Amino acid sequence: MRDLPCWIAVTIAGSEMGVWMSGSKLIHWSAVLGTAVMAIASWSASGSPVRAEDVIRFGAPLPLTGPLAPEGIKQQQGYDLWAEQANKAGGISVGGKKYKVEIVYADYQSSTPRAVQTTEQMITQDNINFLFGAFGSGAAKAASTVSEKYKVPTIAAAASSSQVYDQGYKYLFGTFTPNDTLTTPLTQIIKSKAPDVKKVAILARNDLFPLAIAQEMEKSAKANGLEVVYFEKYAIGTLDHSAALSQIKSLDPQWIFITGYINDLLLARKQMVDQELKAQVVTMIAGPAYQDFIESAGESAENVTSASWWHPAERYDGKDIFGSTENFVKLFHDKYKSDPDYGQASAAVCGALFQMAIERAGSLDRDKVRDELAKLDVVTFWGPVKFGPNGQINSLEPPVFQIQGSKPVVLFPLAIKQGELKLGVN
Amino acid sequence: MLAAQIIINALVLGCLYACIAIGFSLVWGVLNVINLIHGSIIVLGAYLAWGAYQSMAISPWYVLPVAVPVFFVFGYLLQRLLLNRVLHAPVLVTLTLTFGLDLILNNAMIYFFKADYRKLTLKPPMGSVSLFHVVVPVDRLIATVLALALTGLLYLLLRHSRIGRAIVAVRLDRDAAILMGVDVRSIYAIAFGIGAALAGCAGVLMALIFPISALTSSSYLDKAFVVCVLGGLGSVSGALAGGLLLALVEGIGSAAIGPAYATTLSFALLIVFLLFRPQGLLGRKGFE
Amino acid sequence: MKRANLALLIVLACLAALPLVGGAYALRLGTMACMYAILALSWNVVGGLAGYPSFATAAFFGFGAYATGVLLNAGLPLTVSILAALIGSFVLAGLLGAVLLRLRGHYFAIASLSLVGVLRELVNNATDLTGGGMGLNIPLASGSSIMADALFFFYGMWGLLLATALMVIAVSASKLGFGLVCIRQNETAANMIGLNATLYKSIAFGLSACFVAAAGGLYAAWVHYIDPSDVFDILYSVKPIVMTLMGGLGSPLGAACGAFLYLVLEEVVWRNYIQIHSGVLGVLIVALLLLLPHGLVSLRFRNFWRKAKHV
Repeated sequence: MRDLPCWIAVTIAGSEMGVWMSGSKLIHWSAVLGTAVMAIASWSASGSPVRAEDVIRFGAPLPLTGPLAPEGIKQQQGYDLWAEQANKAGGISVGGKKYKVEIVYADYQSSTPRAVQTTEQMITQDNINFLFGAFGSGAAKAASTVSEKYKVPTIAAAASSSQVYDQGYKYLFGTFTPNDTLTTPLTQIIKSKAPDVKKVAILARNDLFPLAIAQEMEKSAKANGLEVVYFEKYAIGTLDHSAALSQIKSLDPQWIFITGYINDLLLARKQMVDQELKAQVVTMIAGPAYQDFIESAGESAENVTSASWWHPAERYDGKDIFGSTENFVKLFHDKYKSDPDYGQASAAVCGALFQMAIERAGSLDRDKVRDELAKLDVVTFWGPVKFGPNGQINSLEPPVFQIQGSKPVVLFPLAIKQGELKLGVN
Repeated sequence: MLAAQIIINALVLGCLYACIAIGFSLVWGVLNVINLIHGSIIVLGAYLAWGAYQSMAISPWYVLPVAVPVFFVFGYLLQRLLLNRVLHAPVLVTLTLTFGLDLILNNAMIYFFKADYRKLTLKPPMGSVSLFHVVVPVDRLIATVLALALTGLLYLLLRHSRIGRAIVAVRLDRDAAILMGVDVRSIYAIAFGIGAALAGCAGVLMALIFPISALTSSSYLDKAFVVCVLGGLGSVSGALAGGLLLALVEGIGSAAIGPAYATTLSFALLIVFLLFRPQGLLGRKGFE
Repeated sequence: MKRANLALLIVLACLAALPLVGGAYALRLGTMACMYAILALSWNVVGGLAGYPSFATAAFFGFGAYATGVLLNAGLPLTVSILAALIGSFVLAGLLGAVLLRLRGHYFAIASLSLVGVLRELVNNATDLTGGGMGLNIPLASGSSIMADALFFFYGMWGLLLATALMVIAVSASKLGFGLVCIRQNETAANMIGLNATLYKSIAFGLSACFVAAAGGLYAAWVHYIDPSDVFDILYSVKPIVMTLMGGLGSPLGAACGAFLYLVLEEVVWRNYIQIHSGVLGVLIVALLLLLPHGLVSLRFRNFWRKAKHV
């Protein structure tokens, strides 16, 4: 069947040549365009590579260009590390036979429609066995409608909003807990360690994840009896926060909570220093979890608090291919010469979870692997992993941490606590 | 006190906006080309400053004299080799051509520098000065002064040099300039080169203030557009007036109705200006 | 009917046969091709015929997507929602056009460009209605099977494309089309001989917006989730222009084949160069403009164009 479209294209191209001779523009043009149309069809149908026998293919649609590119590249590092480790150990064993891991990457240019298209392309053209979800809640959600249609098990490495998982999908899993699991422990720690904190100011990027987490923060603050004196959004691509920060300064809050991506937070932190805006507690999500933030912000990062889904200081003794958290951090450091953050770790654990589920299923059958994923209840270097009925992980306790001496120090959970909350951000 | 602080912030920011827009305005005014590579050239300038500070600890101020000739040559060649070929084509063709060139330059920067955000952090930091509880950051202040000095230099160049007079002549009446014996092609290339040099310098100064990544180029371009229309096309004073107006509207707007609306407000203002005062605040005269 | 227009219809008929030869992914590309062609053909009405360099395509695409999304969420059926988006954007664009089309050249370009920004920020801030930056879910009961779904959206988009093509052909054959060409060549003169230029331009702007909005609406239903930065993406404004320039300014056939060619280029380049695809696309655009400044249609009429330029 696959040869049919090519044959049509060739025939039409042939007829085009004939028509050219006869000189009729009309038929000539329709023939040229017909060829083009058929060429798309034929080439998209014949683009699938020959499938090797002993390889498991994982599709990873990533935003490698566009605004989310820095995050996309981090995820790729995580996937690569896992694939390297899995292959070094001989591959994934399925019913006694070893299969090598191959990851198929594609760039969806930070655009949601492209993410959806890429997902379908990977399933239908690249013959991938399993999928990693697109980056972020919006793209992951949009792309999951495609993977669900094709019944391809998908683990989303970076989607936290519960709306993503509340669609009733069977084949979608995610390694981030809902957003409120970040803000609630944070608020409780501040509440107990800094009783003077009464007023909170919240400034949020008007974008899916940053806005969602800011709204959770507002709820947590109100639930804990704090007064939210300022809650505003700023537009994506804002170049200047000075007006908002001056206003916050005039309200004199003890706690300033700013959400955004690393560029927004670097700029906001710099302008806070410029405006001599000080507070007992300054929280930023999601920048401080990244080493780049700490390096770029320099001294101004000191005492900034944050929360994320994972931290290299955690100490779990996992049953996955990486084993302990320490071992994962070491392997990562050997390969990339830097410490992993939660984005890279989440990508790696997604691979490790697939590996476990496939080995337990003893088969590459998508439904069997899906069932094993749903049944998982294991400890990994990422933490205890158990997916809830909607597919979102519900076993994880996301850490709260603070930058102290240019190092992130874990404040919560108690089991891995490394230091006490320090007050005062200048 | 809050009002004074917000207005001071806006004035400083306005000068930076003017600095971002001025090269764009010159090219648009003289060549009648909307130069979509402008934003990427600014980012390239920022990378130059960042690289110099990171590898040799050279402060951005000392990078400026290097940036001027480097970016001038870059712009000159770009115009001579590529843009000149389609200069008489419809507006859309030149626009699309610069769009294509921007894709190339931007992708090249992402490829070589990665998309990660960098930040040029001076050690020790320069801090802020405060007067009657109004705080002004020193690095912004210096960048503002340098930006003003650059615009001043451009003004003098256009006003008093032979080449400058020729550029203004071409801007005012191309055909008459040709009749007077001005070599329009080379004036175009020189004007484009100056535009690129100004963009590069703006980038060097912005490196002190904004996080650096190829991904920010469109934000710079957006600001340049708005500033040009508000202030009036193709004049130094126009760019300055437009920058100040934009920054004031953004600052006051975001304090009064929330930062999320600041952008909406500036776009709405842009449309109002286009409709009722398309020549901008300061009218359309020669580029001086 | 002109031969080129007939050829356009034949091309569309060929496209309709795509499901015979391709699978679900080919249909997805086919749907994209139809969508791009709708944008390019629509842009051609105001940009090609009337000669106004409009960058407003993304504004109406996003408007249509959000109008349809909000109406679907309110429980209206898909066809009604899309029809409402179509009519709504025709009226909106007509009114805006009466005001904005007083501007010319670059000034009009910038005004239409900022329209995208204004609408995007309005949607971003109307959180109660549109979900703001959190995006909008579109609860469409999806069809039974993968192929049924793909076929539904492909033929939906194809139907819209056919309607757009018929509209464009009707316009170019009518008094309106003639008037628009007059406006492009000399607006002052056209006004002087009693042509109501404002009305003509408004109608043209409205027509160039309404099918774009309908395509946006169908697109929203297709992807189930939209957010402001995705549907008000400035690339939706730039791409139709590049496509039309590739195909040839002012010719509906050129616009449509430009759209298909662009899709093919985009797809091939994007597949083969993960890290540098946008740069390669840039090189292709620059090369096309320098080597083939009048688009694909000039391949055969090159001599004709050369002569025409000096008239």
